[in-house]
Amino acid sequence: MLQLDAVGLRYGNGPEVLRDVSVRLEAGEFAFLTGASGAGKTSLLRLLFLALRPTRGRLELFGEDVMSLHRKALPKLRRRIGVVFQDFRLLDHLSTFDNVALPLRILGQKPEAYKRDVKDILQWVGLGDKLEALPPVLSGGEKQRAAIARAVISKPDILLADEPTGNVDPALAKRLLHLFSELNRQGTTVLLATHDESLIAQSNATIWHLEQGKLQVS
Amino acid sequence: MTDRQSKPGSIVPTDAAPLRTLTAVMAVMCFLAMLSVGAMLLINRAVAQWASGLASEVTVQLPQLSSRDMDQDLATLTELLAEVDGVKGVTILDRKEGEKLLAPWIGEDGLDALPIPRLIRVVVDDKHQPDFAAMEVQLQAAVPTARLDTHRKWEAELRRMASTLTMISSVVLALISLSAVAMVIFAARAVLEANRNVVEVLHIAGADDDFIANQINRRFVAAGFWSGLIGLTGGVAMFLALGYWDIGENSGVASAARGLFYLPQEGDWRSLAWFLVVPIAATSIALVTSRMALKRMLGEAQ
Repeated sequence: MLQLDAVGLRYGNGPEVLRDVSVRLEAGEFAFLTGASGAGKTSLLRLLFLALRPTRGRLELFGEDVMSLHRKALPKLRRRIGVVFQDFRLLDHLSTFDNVALPLRILGQKPEAYKRDVKDILQWVGLGDKLEALPPVLSGGEKQRAAIARAVISKPDILLADEPTGNVDPALAKRLLHLFSELNRQGTTVLLATHDESLIAQSNATIWHLEQGKLQVS
Repeated sequence: MTDRQSKPGSIVPTDAAPLRTLTAVMAVMCFLAMLSVGAMLLINRAVAQWASGLASEVTVQLPQLSSRDMDQDLATLTELLAEVDGVKGVTILDRKEGEKLLAPWIGEDGLDALPIPRLIRVVVDDKHQPDFAAMEVQLQAAVPTARLDTHRKWEAELRRMASTLTMISSVVLALISLSAVAMVIFAARAVLEANRNVVEVLHIAGADDDFIANQINRRFVAAGFWSGLIGLTGGVAMFLALGYWDIGENSGVASAARGLFYLPQEGDWRSLAWFLVVPIAATSIALVTSRMALKRMLGEAQ
């Protein structure tokens, strides 16, 4: 599903933030990406959701060599990836319902076709009573769950989440982890970036550890 | 299901300030375009009217000479002209009518003493005009002092003036269109800049440039359409108001503006369709330019 070979990344002329990263993520796998702040977790995730391209090495996603792909081919790959951002990235002018429906609208679905699915998933993440609420009036935890709902509504092949429990209390963090595990059981590959050791301890998933741009898998 | 869920929210915020400014500026441009198109129509219509009057009539002038018998010459020429192929009517203008033509330039006093030439008005068939060169030869053979005025020189002058003014109007319209294009590009950049966060989320969620451009493009089409409509309404109101301005007096501008809408000649209503070109052009410029600009900028942004 996902493979990196000797991948390096630098911003402009700066130092390499990722160095010789070689790793593989199989379909249906659950992995944690850990590391101290500034270790390069977000940069690695940005590479994986195709917001950036490696400056060297090889990145293969869904069997495609990302380095040689034309820019116009990227949207099709991106539709197979669900992303939960650390800062949620919900659109403040859209209701929770419309935020979650966004990936389906991009896929060209009509409201009649997606309204049931969106309501169901919002119910599933515990936001069934917040359909019309705008993100600015949601709490941190509610925003997080809305962002997760948006990331998984189109049933992506892989879910990438950047510190999804960073803004929530331990009880909610546990619920969210349960939610990700549930998604994984249903077949979605999950890569979850976190520095919450207690969260990692609750699972026996693969751990990718980043330190000063170098990745180790355990 | 609530109405809001049936009708999804607009992906790009609707209250984009650059689009309001664009609508206002483009409405002013459309109004100016309306004035330019209106002026062009008035000029062309006036010239067509004058030219058709000139083309269907020629004049034979006969100077007063003591050596000639005026009545005899007039009779000879009238008889000759009536037989020319393509001549529909011949009328001798009496001396009083000749004086009336001169009065606006030299006043009415003392006209009696002037040797005013006598005129013969010859109405010709528009479609099968006589051979004027042969006619003049024939006239001068019968009466050597007769002069034929076919008005061609005036007609050519009028047409030259009309084509110059039409060209100036076209240049003005082209400049207005260019300014509109520049405004749309500027506004497209401003809208993208103001919605950078939305665009980034859409890209990451798998939206291609076409999808994103479509979301923004609709606003530009609406802005173009409304500005065109405002400009059209403003322009028509302006011409109607000009027509009413001093309806009692014989003002040239007022009567021309009145003629545009109140007294259209046969078939002239069709020329008013040119006004519809203004909102259509505004909408098209907004549609095509914003789409091209957005796609280019979205490509650069990635």
